[in-house]
Amino acid sequence: MMLLALTLNFSAFTALSLAMEKHQLDLHGKAHAGPARMRLWRWLGWALLATAFGICVADHGWAAGPVLWLGAMTVSGLLIAFGLYPWRPRWIAPLAWALPVLGLGAAAL
Amino acid sequence: MKNGFRQSMAWLHTWTGLLVGWLLLLIFMAGTASYYREEISRWMRPELPRSSVSTEVAAERAVTFLQHKAPQAESWNVTLPDPRNPAMRMFWRNPESMVKPPAEGEKRRRGGGRFGDATVDPASGEEVAARETRGGDFFYRLHFDLHYIPVLWARYLVGFCAMFMLVAIITGVITHKKIFKDFFTFRPEKGLRSWLDFHNVSAVMALPYHAMITYTGLVTLMFMYLPQGVSVAYPKDEEAFFSEAFARLADPADAAEGSAAPLPIQQLLDSARAEWKGAQVSGFTVFHPGAANAVIDIYQRDGKRLSIDTPSLRYHAVSGALIETSPVPGGATHTRGVMYGLHLARFADWGLRALFFLSGLVGCLMVASGVVLWAVKERPKHAKAGRIGFGLRLVDALNIGAVAGLPIAFAAYFWGNRLLPLEMAERADAEASVFFYAWAAALLAAFVWPKRLMWAWQLYLGAALFALIPVINVLTTDAHLGVTLRTGDWALAGFDLVMLAFGAMLAYCGLRMQRWQPALSAAEKKRRQAAALAATANAAEASA
Amino acid sequence: MDSTPDASWFNRFGGFFDRPWLGVLSRSLAAIFGGYALAATCAMFFAVALPIARAQAVLTGMLVAIVLCACAALWAFATRTALRAWIGIAAPTALFWLGTLALGARA
Repeated sequence: MMLLALTLNFSAFTALSLAMEKHQLDLHGKAHAGPARMRLWRWLGWALLATAFGICVADHGWAAGPVLWLGAMTVSGLLIAFGLYPWRPRWIAPLAWALPVLGLGAAAL
Repeated sequence: MKNGFRQSMAWLHTWTGLLVGWLLLLIFMAGTASYYREEISRWMRPELPRSSVSTEVAAERAVTFLQHKAPQAESWNVTLPDPRNPAMRMFWRNPESMVKPPAEGEKRRRGGGRFGDATVDPASGEEVAARETRGGDFFYRLHFDLHYIPVLWARYLVGFCAMFMLVAIITGVITHKKIFKDFFTFRPEKGLRSWLDFHNVSAVMALPYHAMITYTGLVTLMFMYLPQGVSVAYPKDEEAFFSEAFARLADPADAAEGSAAPLPIQQLLDSARAEWKGAQVSGFTVFHPGAANAVIDIYQRDGKRLSIDTPSLRYHAVSGALIETSPVPGGATHTRGVMYGLHLARFADWGLRALFFLSGLVGCLMVASGVVLWAVKERPKHAKAGRIGFGLRLVDALNIGAVAGLPIAFAAYFWGNRLLPLEMAERADAEASVFFYAWAAALLAAFVWPKRLMWAWQLYLGAALFALIPVINVLTTDAHLGVTLRTGDWALAGFDLVMLAFGAMLAYCGLRMQRWQPALSAAEKKRRQAAALAATANAAEASA
Repeated sequence: MDSTPDASWFNRFGGFFDRPWLGVLSRSLAAIFGGYALAATCAMFFAVALPIARAQAVLTGMLVAIVLCACAALWAFATRTALRAWIGIAAPTALFWLGTLALGARA
């Protein structure tokens, strides 16, 4: 469950970062940077964050849940900002799709 | 100030950060290590039992031990084993009449013989003979009691630094204009820009944590820092405040005449668990054991709740009747309990604890990158003048001594634990001294020669010291990776692995420091391009 | 004949206070000592003024006072002059203190 929350946070942050012009331009160029598409990423990002929050609370209660959610955001954000964007930007999108699937699998087991 | 709001906040951020940054590094590093103080203590006492028994058996063994060792004590306190700590700690308080003045030449025991303690193996019921060490508690105490100075002064100093840190956090957020735009922005290999990005990202990504840990740190000692509210609201009976402010059981009655055998401990713990509908017991205190009116306070284990105050029950030890339940905390009491609980993070399971630890490390990186950033920014001004001024030299030396020197000290402490003779007198104090001697040496070396290569050497030294800890472990104990990985003892194995990871990280930093080349100026770049072109032109001519 | 005090002596004395580091020092003192005084008096005032159980009021006062101290530090360096820094911290401190005296006397 924790893995699912973590991976959802990762994808959420990916989506939110793509909603920012700077990162979208860096990754995919101007073609994909229209306002409609950016809005889509922003909505998706916030939705994923909210889902991750729900999972954290459902699994750990209202006390430790939000704490876990914040910690998951920290580690995802660090991975994206310090690891992926500077050195392996091409990995970000695939990871953002693959990791939650992994998380779901781990939760189902 | 004549500057704008943001500018004055930026100025304030720089100075609150710089003035206490190095002490904050110590506090942050020791505090972060404290998240795993139980595991560190276990690693530092490899003789401790690694097996685990049920709570009932452990409790029985504890009571038997105490009946044998301290039958006359006024109170017994037992901390039952838990997954992180398989040994049992017990404390007892002897009656006044029993306290003897120390014999001629004998060192006066802390507490003057009034108190006793023991660490007991729950499987055998015997006291554990493990090497004398403060273990992870050394780091825990270090981060608010410091060392070598009176505890009161240390706590005021740490509180002062914490307040500076709180101001630094708030001013940092105010100053960071593009906090949302630059949320994921880190541009490496760009000198000052990269340092600033690193500082910003490490600060923002764990911002809830940094703000929480600083504020809650102040809350844990707020009775010391702000006692005026108590004296003004409770002018004649300050004691009453402390009993009302915490959701605790009242002080127990004095011992009555007559003695009676208490109920078996299992039965009493079962009653508590039934009352709590299954929650676990973390420990208990027996007041006036053996007396006819002996009572036992039973404490619940931290579980899902954040607050440091866990419920407790008081039973009559002889009849088994429930006498008292800990009161429901008031709003402010609960808030304070949650603040305290968040700071200590006792509620955290292994996953959450890892996240706390990571956030603490990020905090260390934030402070470190901050002080280094200042030096990087200052240096060009001094380069123009031709010589490094006093201020920058001082900062350079402190930076090396703290950022690279503290890891050396931490690693040296663990080396001391494995290498100091087991039967040495005052061994625990000696281990602490190793920490400070190592740090002092690093600081001294840094002050003598605060240059880039000193950075690299100290980082390499730290890397080597950390990476060799698992090796020393193999050579000196039987609790090394070869054994712990096989038996799945993740606390001990994890410790060794984390040491290796720190070693690798420090080595990488050392390498980068050693290989760093100054950025070329535009003119120099042009000159080199022209020279390269000329060289290829010559080569083409020569081969034509 | 000029009846004002010796102009050059007076101006030199006033000029001394124009040095920027004195302003910084003044604000720092206001932030540190004034900030603490503000926190302490705030804790006292909340302890006697809040219409809740005594112990709860005391605790609330302490929790709030910590934040107020940080705010005082920000104020001390954000305002236009060092004098405003002091006044902005001293005035609420005095009010808290007077309020405590007034309410404490009743309790």
